[in-house]
Amino acid sequence: MEFVFSQLAGFGGAFAALVADPWTYVYLVTSVFLGITIGALPGLTATLAVTILTGFFGNKIPLDYSLIALLGAYVGAIYGGSYPSILLNIPGTAASAATAMDGHPLAKAGRGGEALGLTTTASFIGTLIGTAALLIFVWVLLLVSKNIASPEKALLALFGILLSGTLMSEDLVIKGWIAGLIGLAMAMVGMDPLLSEPRYTFGWSYMLSGFQVVPVLMGAFAVPQIIEGLRHIEVGKIVALQGRILPNLATVRRHMPTITRSGVIGTGIGALPGVGEDVAGWVSYGVGKTVSKDGKNFGKGSLEGLLSSETANNACIGGALIPLLVLGIPGSPPAAALMGAFKINNIIPGPTIDPNIILRVVAIMVLASLTMWILGLFTARVFIKILRIPQTVFLPVVMVLTAIGSFSVGGGINDLYLMLGVGFVAYFMNLMKYPIAPLVIGVILGGLFDETFRRSLFLADGSLAGFVSRPGAATLLSLNIALITAQFPAMRRIFARLRRKET
Amino acid sequence: MGFEQVKDGNATVVKDNSENEIKPALSRAKPQAPDRVSDGVVGIEAEQLAVLRARDFWASLALLLLSLFFLWRTSLIPLWGENRAGVQGGDWYNSAALVPLGIFSALLVLSLVLMRIAVTAGGAKRALSSVGIGWNRTEALRFTTISVVLFFYIAGLVPRVDFVIGSGLLITALIYGYHGGHPRRMIVAAGVVALAGGYAMMMHLPRAEWRLHDDDWLTLALWLGLTLWVLILGRGDPVARAIPAIALVAPLVLVCAMAFGFRQNVPNRGGLIFKTIEYHYYVTLKPLWSRT
Repeated sequence: MEFVFSQLAGFGGAFAALVADPWTYVYLVTSVFLGITIGALPGLTATLAVTILTGFFGNKIPLDYSLIALLGAYVGAIYGGSYPSILLNIPGTAASAATAMDGHPLAKAGRGGEALGLTTTASFIGTLIGTAALLIFVWVLLLVSKNIASPEKALLALFGILLSGTLMSEDLVIKGWIAGLIGLAMAMVGMDPLLSEPRYTFGWSYMLSGFQVVPVLMGAFAVPQIIEGLRHIEVGKIVALQGRILPNLATVRRHMPTITRSGVIGTGIGALPGVGEDVAGWVSYGVGKTVSKDGKNFGKGSLEGLLSSETANNACIGGALIPLLVLGIPGSPPAAALMGAFKINNIIPGPTIDPNIILRVVAIMVLASLTMWILGLFTARVFIKILRIPQTVFLPVVMVLTAIGSFSVGGGINDLYLMLGVGFVAYFMNLMKYPIAPLVIGVILGGLFDETFRRSLFLADGSLAGFVSRPGAATLLSLNIALITAQFPAMRRIFARLRRKET
Repeated sequence: MGFEQVKDGNATVVKDNSENEIKPALSRAKPQAPDRVSDGVVGIEAEQLAVLRARDFWASLALLLLSLFFLWRTSLIPLWGENRAGVQGGDWYNSAALVPLGIFSALLVLSLVLMRIAVTAGGAKRALSSVGIGWNRTEALRFTTISVVLFFYIAGLVPRVDFVIGSGLLITALIYGYHGGHPRRMIVAAGVVALAGGYAMMMHLPRAEWRLHDDDWLTLALWLGLTLWVLILGRGDPVARAIPAIALVAPLVLVCAMAFGFRQNVPNRGGLIFKTIEYHYYVTLKPLWSRT
């Protein structure tokens, strides 16, 4: 109980400090607005929103403000995807794909205003549910951090890369692992962290300091989207908005059980490392269809269906931040981009992070969701106008943003070459269904893995015993081995046989 | 430029009247009802998977060569604690080569596994035909022209030409070239940016010459020429009318915000336009609020 009170007091202090600072509102309103705009434009994702703002705000302003900007954009972009889903039947982000199933029929039936109002409120409540879970899960951090030393850090980094590779892969699991290994290999470039031995520099002095995170982020997440998005698309019909957007309190109260259930599902799925907002939306939609009395109307314009997906994808944000902040494993691709922003501020998310940073993140999330709610309810018509901007007009500006953001972080033209090179590679990887997030996670965690793995061996005079004698390390080692062996064909056959026997 | 807005009852239809359009990618993002699986869909999916496995074959080959190359490079890093200038290096477990060795060995193994999967699925058989790897001429043209534009912008224009001018040309070329999906416009857009970027690279390759302005003037001329061409061609089209404003305002605001708001380094500070802005910011404007 004492822990709960101390957490609440810590959160209250962080919240009051934010509220009292006028700059908070400048960064919040700007970033949430930009986030909703990017989310609302079909083809542009929440990952892109966080990535381009990392280049702009990442290390140029105090950490608190940069977190406000990035989290604000993240919350705004996930919510913003609901606009084209409802009005165009094209999801703005993958997270809003399930929203289109019921949102668009509602808009066509002249209930677009009601759908948008309820979506906004549900996204707001969903974000709060996810954020509350984040606040509670700090205890795991406190529990784990006491037993973390070099072997655990090394194995945790490896586990993060392997797990994200396993879960994020659309095609073969080994493609996720290959992406993670490419990221790890990229992190090996430059002076090694223990002996300052130059590795793979090819005599180029720029390479001595290794690959910078921001150009890699920009290249991996922004450039492929720019290349992919610069094509002609049929925008389609924008259904005119009818009815008032401000939601009816009684309607919200009536749907509260659905919103709560979806919020919990979204948070739980977000907490699974590597599983993003899109999966949260679909799973919650599927559960809603099964348990709701209105299940038969899902897909035909059901408010319950709309709220199931839209609450879950926003609740997923808080959930995705739990493994990121507590274990250092990003829960979703935008969280991987967020991890890059932490890295350039010299903060490595994970068990050794300062718990006060988590309290500030929670306070920012509450304020960001409130800002999103207010902007969503009162400026919805502005965002609907934005829907009319073709992405072929918007993406060239994003390219300029990406170039100047990438340049200014490192201050060198070589970073731009790196960004472009990574961008082309990432584009081809996307084409061949390799997930990109494990690559980015590999780049971010590679240095940590190298250093802590070798330090563990160094302290044990080359003995591997340290990885099995410590309970935490042994558990993590078992998880890593289980994750790899579970993909062996023989093991999969055994699992399949067991599953058949059960059924 | 290929778009017209038509009122249709409650809805605004954004119609496309362009020729030679490239098929939309967003259709993939549209939610599909799970019960729509028909024989045709299954056939298309099987074909897509076969194409993917043919590409996997080439990817596994590239990964195999890459991992072998880097394993060789890793062998140049002392692993067994060699002497260096008479000083004993660390032990094997402390070697800088240890983790890379593991990474590239794992990559080698995984590339072999991927190759086995690709070959078993018939990827190797299809890998040598253009149909087998899913070659699409229109898509290849689109990608190549975008690559040319981005390469010459990043390698040629950003370091050597004023950022506002270079980015203005980029924005104009990209919107003109890709809004509407006309292949001929894509080639023109790539050609214009390649001309400006290529000139800057060829005439001022060494860093010492990056501050010269003849490439700024050429890029400015090409930008103005392309803008005029866009305005003439797209008379009455709102997107065409908006291009000059977007191309001028976006980079101008961004570079000023970065340089004077965040006080960060920006590319080519000695560029034609930015040099003047910076001079007037510090000499004319800043004293207004710095005077105490």
